[in-house]
Amino acid sequence: MRTRAESDLDIWDDAVLLDPYPAYATLRETAGVVYLPKNDLYVLTRYDVIRDALNDPETFSSTSLGFNPMVNEALQGTSLASDPPVHTQLRAALSENLTPRALRGLKVVIDEKAENLVGGLVAGGSFEAIDALARAFPLEIVADLIGFTGQVKENMLRWGQAAMQVLGPLNQRTQENFPIAGELYGWCSTVTAEDLAPGSIGRGIFDAETRGDIPEGTAGHIIHQYLGAGVDTTIAAIGNAVALFGRHPEQLALLRENPDLVSSAFAEVLRFWPPIHVWGRTATRDTEVDGTLIPAGAQLGILFGAGNHDPRHYEDPDTFDITRNPVDHLSFGYGPHGCAGQGLARLEGHAIISALGRQVAEIQLGEEVRVPSNITRSIEELPVIKVVAA
Amino acid sequence: MRIELDRPRCEGHGLCEEAAPELMHLDDDGELVIDVPEVDGADLAAANAAVRICPVAALRLAS
Repeated sequence: MRTRAESDLDIWDDAVLLDPYPAYATLRETAGVVYLPKNDLYVLTRYDVIRDALNDPETFSSTSLGFNPMVNEALQGTSLASDPPVHTQLRAALSENLTPRALRGLKVVIDEKAENLVGGLVAGGSFEAIDALARAFPLEIVADLIGFTGQVKENMLRWGQAAMQVLGPLNQRTQENFPIAGELYGWCSTVTAEDLAPGSIGRGIFDAETRGDIPEGTAGHIIHQYLGAGVDTTIAAIGNAVALFGRHPEQLALLRENPDLVSSAFAEVLRFWPPIHVWGRTATRDTEVDGTLIPAGAQLGILFGAGNHDPRHYEDPDTFDITRNPVDHLSFGYGPHGCAGQGLARLEGHAIISALGRQVAEIQLGEEVRVPSNITRSIEELPVIKVVAA
Repeated sequence: MRIELDRPRCEGHGLCEEAAPELMHLDDDGELVIDVPEVDGADLAAANAAVRICPVAALRLAS
């Protein structure tokens, strides 16, 4: 075993959050595990190290997936923050309505919505891609799916963003967002079947609780996770797709020529810029990873973007290449806690990318605006100053 | 080698079927069926790819 590698980097520094990739490269070349004294955090930086840790919940517990004790306390009892065997039942209740088999009937509706939305934007000649597309689309899909209506629907975006921010360390961003995340938490603890649209999946989850199919009191938790995990992340992915196709017109041309590349293109968008850049675990015992001792109780930070750009795993990792088909990217995590909503995310991502490929010949981007954020990395404003129809 | 499925963990994402269509498929209900559980030779590479690609690690190869 060697002396642990350290870096004086602060992973939540504004400049690092806005463009973390140079820092990731330095950390990854230093070691697979690097200790950051400023964050009291062991970060995992290489593809194999990350994937192995994600598939070993006995050693790397999810009980501290967030980076402050208050949020981890608040998440106890959810599948997100639990370990097997408790996790297994909670996860089944969470994912039952999200599996590809459960969502199969939705594909036609989602594809049609994407076609219409993109068609309208293309006809306008220019648009702001985050509000008009990246946010509009998942908000509508998730609201319809869970059955949100009225005031709750209006709060989805800020609640979803806050639920991610408060997973961060106790910095200003986290503290400012606790009251907003608290609104979501409060609403989810009092929501009843009648608050959700008839026939929606949300209503179905309450019916399952009434029947005793899922433990009492878990329906609210599940709704909380759908909103907390399913909004901000998908928004990031769709915004990133528009930005990456705008920056790489030759990749948009490839997609237009070959619609079979849709699934590979979405995987590459996720690999290239993961919506979530850091996620937590805690070591349950002293363990050696890549020659470094991680002591029991240590907090870990998994850097998905560092692993996704590891040249040990992906050839030429800093090139955006939609023919790569990187189905094993780390952006959905991996293993027992692998993203429960990835089936829905794929439906949404494929629908948008497919619509872009069919309807758009050229995207000219203005200057994008990014705002530092603790957990999600997304674009805040993305002007498409000119879009040319295919 | 034998392909083993952790049935409760499988959520039917179907990436394994894309990696090894000759060895497994999702049935009409979206449940995974292992058509060729015992694999060797040329099938081993496809089986390995399917095991690797499962996003929830529900598949493994056992000797």
